[in-house]
Amino acid sequence: MIIEALIAFTFAAALVTFVLPDRLAGRGAFALSLVPVLGSLYMWSQFDASGNALLGGQTAFETVIPWLEVAGYEISWYVGVDGISLPLVVLTTVLTSLAIVSAWTPIQHRQSQFFGLMLFMEANLLGVFTALDFFLWFIFWEAVLVPMYFLIGVWGGPRRKYAAIKFFVYTNAASLIMFIGFMALVLGLGDSTSSFALPDVAQALRGGDLGSFYGLDANTLRVVAFAAMFFGFAVKVPVVPVHTWLPDAHVEAPTPVSVMLAGVLLKMGTYALLRFNFTMLPEVAVEYAPFIAAIAVLSVIYGAMLALAQQDLKRIVAYSSVSSMGYVILGLVAYTAYGVGGATFQMVAHGLISGLMFMAVGVIYNTTHTRMVGDMSGMADRMPVTTGILIAGAFGYMGLPLMAGFAAEFFIFTGAFQSSVIAGNGLALFTAAAMFGIVIVAGYLLFAMQRTLFGPFRLDTDYEVGPAPLHDTLPLAVLLVCIIALGVAPEIFFSMITDAVDPVIGGVLQ
Amino acid sequence: MVGAFDFVPAIVLLPFFSFLVALFLGKYMPKGGALAGITATAGSLLLSIWTVLTVAGFTGTATTYQQTLYTWAGGMEGTPLPYELTFGLLIDPLSSMMLLIVTLVAFLVHVFSLGYMNDEGETGLPRYYAGLGLFSASMLGFVVADNLLMAFMFFELVGLCSYLLIGFWFREEAPPSAAKKAFLVTRFGDYFFLIGVVAVFATFGTAAFAGDGSFPALAEAALAGEGGGDVNTLFGLDPQAWFTVVGLLVLGGVVGKSAQFPLHTWLPDAMEGPTPVSALIHAATMVAAGVYLVARMYGFYALTPTTLAIIAFVGGFTALFAATMGVVKREIKQVLAYSTISQYGYMMLALGSGGYIAATFHLMTHAFFKALLFLGAGSVIIAMHHNENMWDMGGLKDRMPTTYYTFLAGSLALAGIFPFSGFWSKDEVLYEALVHGLGGSPLLLAAWAMGLLAVFFTGFYTFRMVFLTFHGKPRTDTARNPHGVRWNVKGPLAVLAVLAVVAGFINMVPVAKLTGLEIEFLHDWLAHGPSGLTSEHYSELTHDYANYSVGTLVGGELGTALISGAVSLGLALAGAGLAYSLYNVPEPVEHTDRLGSAKDVLFNNYYQDEYQVWLANDVARGISRGADKFDQGVVDGVVNGISSVSLLSGSRVRRIQTGVVSNYAALLTLGLVALLVILGLQGGWFV
Repeated sequence: MIIEALIAFTFAAALVTFVLPDRLAGRGAFALSLVPVLGSLYMWSQFDASGNALLGGQTAFETVIPWLEVAGYEISWYVGVDGISLPLVVLTTVLTSLAIVSAWTPIQHRQSQFFGLMLFMEANLLGVFTALDFFLWFIFWEAVLVPMYFLIGVWGGPRRKYAAIKFFVYTNAASLIMFIGFMALVLGLGDSTSSFALPDVAQALRGGDLGSFYGLDANTLRVVAFAAMFFGFAVKVPVVPVHTWLPDAHVEAPTPVSVMLAGVLLKMGTYALLRFNFTMLPEVAVEYAPFIAAIAVLSVIYGAMLALAQQDLKRIVAYSSVSSMGYVILGLVAYTAYGVGGATFQMVAHGLISGLMFMAVGVIYNTTHTRMVGDMSGMADRMPVTTGILIAGAFGYMGLPLMAGFAAEFFIFTGAFQSSVIAGNGLALFTAAAMFGIVIVAGYLLFAMQRTLFGPFRLDTDYEVGPAPLHDTLPLAVLLVCIIALGVAPEIFFSMITDAVDPVIGGVLQ
Repeated sequence: MVGAFDFVPAIVLLPFFSFLVALFLGKYMPKGGALAGITATAGSLLLSIWTVLTVAGFTGTATTYQQTLYTWAGGMEGTPLPYELTFGLLIDPLSSMMLLIVTLVAFLVHVFSLGYMNDEGETGLPRYYAGLGLFSASMLGFVVADNLLMAFMFFELVGLCSYLLIGFWFREEAPPSAAKKAFLVTRFGDYFFLIGVVAVFATFGTAAFAGDGSFPALAEAALAGEGGGDVNTLFGLDPQAWFTVVGLLVLGGVVGKSAQFPLHTWLPDAMEGPTPVSALIHAATMVAAGVYLVARMYGFYALTPTTLAIIAFVGGFTALFAATMGVVKREIKQVLAYSTISQYGYMMLALGSGGYIAATFHLMTHAFFKALLFLGAGSVIIAMHHNENMWDMGGLKDRMPTTYYTFLAGSLALAGIFPFSGFWSKDEVLYEALVHGLGGSPLLLAAWAMGLLAVFFTGFYTFRMVFLTFHGKPRTDTARNPHGVRWNVKGPLAVLAVLAVVAGFINMVPVAKLTGLEIEFLHDWLAHGPSGLTSEHYSELTHDYANYSVGTLVGGELGTALISGAVSLGLALAGAGLAYSLYNVPEPVEHTDRLGSAKDVLFNNYYQDEYQVWLANDVARGISRGADKFDQGVVDGVVNGISSVSLLSGSRVRRIQTGVVSNYAALLTLGLVALLVILGLQGGWFV
């Protein structure tokens, strides 16, 4: 029941916020958003699932309510969490609350709508990470786009309309292709499944029940469906070369929206890749592992090189997300406990770290009204606390040990390096190549920090610069504490993750 | 019973608490948090002494300690991970000796900082002492690590502290740039190190340093043909070849951190940091981390002769290469920086030549005398009102006698003059390289020759520095009226000066060979320990796997030891003598100008910085700009092209595309409502 309660409460909170007066909306939305935070932490403390929700494990907080029947397929309100989804639920609630606080300063018009949409988006995100029925999941999946579209399109920068439409059309078109791919699979299963429940579909597919459909034999169908879903999710992640909506969306979006976009929305893509492609069709993933690994390495290195070329702090962080998400793909394709577990852990770690980085850039922007590297220097002198946290966050992004990013990346590296998914230890070579990302990330972040934070103070815009207000820096501090906690004790999430990941990799690699 | 080993975690945690205290409370405390750091490092020092005594057997039988403390990942019951990742302690003669060195130097540097930072009225002291505390904790964590992953993690953390402290004066241009360079260059080495760590896990399923299931032990068993099934070599390589690859990968981190060619370029720039930081981090401890790591996993390196040869060669080359650059520098800290690179080259030379004891011996003596020299230079810099140019000094001998005599002790040790500590340790390094070279490994002879030649240069640059700084007539007004220093500067200098003089006596190999007295205490010290981690085991390994055997000149081992010692002492004296004749005059001139264009090459550091800056700035940035153009023009161009084609075909839709966001909102909401209504009708909700 708790999942329904959380989602329903968050929807209700969104409605309440819509009608609050603008001056109260920020504070009100934050107070309301604490309830899902507490709820998700309660779920973490009471978590008793074992195994993978899709592959016959025991799911926590499960609810199944038959809903309707379409063309002989049952559709249910079917939600529940396992060790893969619960960390993402916690990430969503925590990051939303902090993003709301970080929006207090920059959002100065139509606040009630802004904060209402943030909560509306949170509710749908919770749905995405807990739904276990495809139909239900797809509704949430698509519904997330709506608030995001408006958040960018209404409160964004000068080119907000272009960015919002590009984001919406690109990811929506991708969703359509993914939808067709999945439907083909379900229809190809024929009588093996009579519902859209993801566990039924996943188990039937892993049980080898796939038949031919539309003139395609089972093997071809598998590959085509895999490709369609991979494309659909890859746009969302995003991986190179379907990433170009991301920097535009980030640059135009207000900072708190960037936090949600990088912190949580990108994880929808990697989460879905894990739940659909890598859980349901492992044989295709293994067969095409060299291609997938190549995409992962390309995303890591090319994304990092792009970040190196940027002069806008937000674009730097945006491109670095492409790079970090490449690691997730690398971990997923490894099909080892550390690889897939590390990829899942990276979703959380990167959510927190990129959230911190975007927020910190936002705090600087709030005071200086510029994000260009060349427009300022020596900010450390005027904003010591923000600078300190930004430096810590940047080192977290570079994979400093005892912070969450290192744990995630090390798990992925060690899991991928020893994977036999490509004959002759081929994935070890891909891994070694991808790892060069840790040098480039240090390069672009250190360059950017040196030029903006250090040296004599200089600012090319006409604003008074002083320490940021407490409610600007507090979310940063909270995130930093979370990042260090997960880096020192990754077991907070990692043991439940590996428990849920184990059935996914089971039997895939001999 | 509660013993010293129960308190080992406190050695690491005390400086960590001082970090927290200085960071959060430092500005409310007198001395900006210095006292917390001094107290914490003093506590760590006392506990380290207790630990060393326990390892030595003063409290009963000699004993070592290995304990897993914390499971970082994989600790839960029934988790399907193939191996756990843990934190643990390994206290043996090597690590306890290192604990003593690090805590002692850290303590003295904290005290010295009172004079260098507080008395000079620096701002940002809480940040400074927090950095020192975090560094001390990280370094000590690295020293006690019982596995390679934990070592890597703390290895990275000391890199962070180094970055923060080099860039301490962040309001200036140069320090932040130097900090960035230091982190980037060492990160490049750490990239290979990290691949090495995951390769060790992939190969052995463990990264433990000690015990039967440790990776050096498994590697040894695999090469001996026992238990090869537990070892999983990659890419179809045979164990010997694969272990060489792994060893070289880890060596990448060592070369970066210990500033060996070609990743040495960051260290001279790192002198932008406060001088006590240079003494602690960039001379005595962090730079030693690389060498210590090789010593820590020497049981693995000793199995692969190719790696050993490369270590020896890189070390010998770096020793000579850096010493030549030290000859022409104008600033006192620059001379010391190149000297540090050169001296770590000697340690690498020793490790590559099978001289495990010689390397750790030189590590220890160098930590003392180089920390002394840096702190002495710090004292001079205070006196000179932060002017570091030796050509502006001169004649400081009479004005600051404590600094002069302690600095002289350190210089004699550095130059390797009998009987100062550096003589004994450097002599043993060269002796090991020589005898193993003569014993059938001619490559070592080449490395030895470079190391030997470097002795001459060392003697020269050391005494050029001493004479320019302290002798002759004062060349500026500041040198005529230097700023005085207090007890907090003189005290640490005195302690380190005593150590620089006497530390060598614990291991006087030639004297022991000559007299037959058993005074090679360091040999005895490192010969006991957990099985597989003793110096005797290591010499068996280098003998069996790398074919290192002892060859001698005339007179057997004794004769060779005496000849080797005499030759290196002679060269050091020759270098010092040349410096004496050229620079110990009332008004010295820059004789190195006579080198002509060679001096330009040396002064510009063989243009090593230029090509690395070129790689980072021109090549990497150039590629990234090209990628950015490609991305915006081609990749995104295709996307926009597709969308404009589809929008054109759908021009009729344009009527509803008003561009007003609220209209879109209405449409989207309508669509959602319609969808729900259809679903509801279908599901029979409204019946």
